[in-house]
Amino acid sequence: MATFILQDATGIGSDDLDPARGFIDMAIIANDTGLGMADPAAGKQRLVYARTGNGPPRLRLDAMINTAFSPNYGSGANNVDTIVVAGLKSLVLDDGTPMADNGTALPPKSSGLPGASLNPTEQCLVIYDTQLAICVARDGSGGVLDLPVSPPVALYHEFSHAFRIINNTLLALTVACDPSSPEERAAIIDENDLRTDLATRAGVSATLRDPGIHCGRLASDGEECCCIIATLVSKSPRSQQVQRLRCARDHFVRGTEVGHAFFDHFFRDYYAFSPQACTLMAGDQSLRHQLLEGFVEPLLDFWNMMVERGRCVMGSTQLGAAFIALHADRGHAEQRRAALQRTSAYWESGDGQSAEAPAQLMALLRERAWPSPYMQWALVAPVRLMQALLTRYLAGADAPAIGRAFTEALDAWAPEVPISTLWAGLPAAQVRRELGFCERALLQTTKSKTRFRQRLGERFPDITAVAGVLGRLQTIHKGDTW
Amino acid sequence: MVSDHSKPGDLTAAIQSVAPVDTRLQVVVRLQNKAERALHYVADVRAMRYDPTTRTLTLALSDEGREVIPSLAGKLPLFRHVDPGSEAEIHLSVPDRIVKLSRSAGSAGSAEPDELAFETQQLADVREVVVEVAWADVPYYHDTRASALQDARLPAARWEQHKARATKRQDKKRAPKS
Repeated sequence: MATFILQDATGIGSDDLDPARGFIDMAIIANDTGLGMADPAAGKQRLVYARTGNGPPRLRLDAMINTAFSPNYGSGANNVDTIVVAGLKSLVLDDGTPMADNGTALPPKSSGLPGASLNPTEQCLVIYDTQLAICVARDGSGGVLDLPVSPPVALYHEFSHAFRIINNTLLALTVACDPSSPEERAAIIDENDLRTDLATRAGVSATLRDPGIHCGRLASDGEECCCIIATLVSKSPRSQQVQRLRCARDHFVRGTEVGHAFFDHFFRDYYAFSPQACTLMAGDQSLRHQLLEGFVEPLLDFWNMMVERGRCVMGSTQLGAAFIALHADRGHAEQRRAALQRTSAYWESGDGQSAEAPAQLMALLRERAWPSPYMQWALVAPVRLMQALLTRYLAGADAPAIGRAFTEALDAWAPEVPISTLWAGLPAAQVRRELGFCERALLQTTKSKTRFRQRLGERFPDITAVAGVLGRLQTIHKGDTW
Repeated sequence: MVSDHSKPGDLTAAIQSVAPVDTRLQVVVRLQNKAERALHYVADVRAMRYDPTTRTLTLALSDEGREVIPSLAGKLPLFRHVDPGSEAEIHLSVPDRIVKLSRSAGSAGSAEPDELAFETQQLADVREVVVEVAWADVPYYHDTRASALQDARLPAARWEQHKARATKRQDKKRAPKS
């Protein structure tokens, strides 16, 4: 008896746990057909493993699953099983710590080890959020928290702790996350074994976590976290595509509270589906290629044009010329339009039964991505806009005509940017600065500015700082900027 | 705790609203800085505690009392500031129920002596909401002193000087879910 996945338990609903996801994560770690599960008993399923491959992750799993551990914490040797609690996003530990977007390994209650007081059982509990969205320090970056953690990596990190708990070899834990405590350093080194293994399987170079820094932050809190879908389809977190995305994001975020707040919401919604989307796409090379051509590249082109437009006001003809310059190679433009049309067909296939797109991915997008106004505004609408312009261009429209259509589309799209509640917490001077930034960087035209101010005023009618700034603006010239 | 030139009442908190939205509770807290300098505060929920006897939900925007355990990552709080003589509003979103590891399941008399079980607490029935906001008159900074490693408190708990506390009793009639 050694390692189990919790299937069901007293006190929670049948949908609270995610044992299927737990096993998928385990299977991703093992990458070995020898991994399986015994029949369920007492709400748990025991993992079985007849290892056929080598490498640190498989050897570690083999030891965890096929060894009966009887550590002696001071009161005699006792059998200790490891139970994986996957999912359960609402779990809160006894000290009030929410387990959403994190993971832990709790030692048996009588072990006296750190965390034992939070565990009411004599088993080692491995708890992790299967939909977590956090970023940690990338090795060699000097502490930049931009490295995403996928659920299998999170599970493997906690397995590392569990392995030392059940061997009674847990190392010292300290309160600081920088530098890492010896225990966390050891877990990160193990975690990197899996990151290396996963990268080798995908044929890409591994991006590792800094073992010296255990700090992390919610993906939604950071301006550094990168787009994991762009990383997957372009095969590297340092690819040209990801760097361009990072550049666009930094342009709109740097130094502005509303920019931060926007990405705060955006990443929260984005990470509600993207880790699972990556898992679903990982084994489908043609789908990854399709997404690069028919989604990521046009989206990047759009946002890069928005960055340029934010740096120096572009007239509509300049905008049209910039669009045409991006599509100078007509053959490539035709290919892109075809890819955009396929993407559009995937999105619009309401029943998810498209011949090419995996039904699971479409179901995931429909459930978790499309309802988000942040996803619609930042990811969906721009790609649709690019498709419409490309169709016009390939039908013979010139730069002034493309520019007019582009400007008209931006006037309809830009002021509908989701408005964060953060505006309500800003002092008047900052509301003025933030509004000025939005108008320079994004809105630009009188029509866009007027519409955005109207929405802002309607959203916060009783917030004095917002009302005061908008009121003052009305006494200046309508549509004027700061 | 860093050198403290502030008074406990310099930052006050008031809960503006508590409303269920889908499967979450949205809590709006308004902070008022009565000091002549900017005050820095923790802006996200670090711990949630629910007392089913009094039906009191406490949202701690503070690391005080949290244990150091093996974990995937050490996450620092979100820090924000409020200008002197100004107000700020923070919007918190927490699940409308919390699940805890059950302490009673493994006790004598249960079917399985070491059974792993849970307790679900529905926050829709909450009678009182308490929000505690940790704050200081200096921004949080990374304490690199060797002595900091010996301190059992989490870094943000060491930083905080005071807590602003707000309570709100919920009406018996619940707001409809949107």
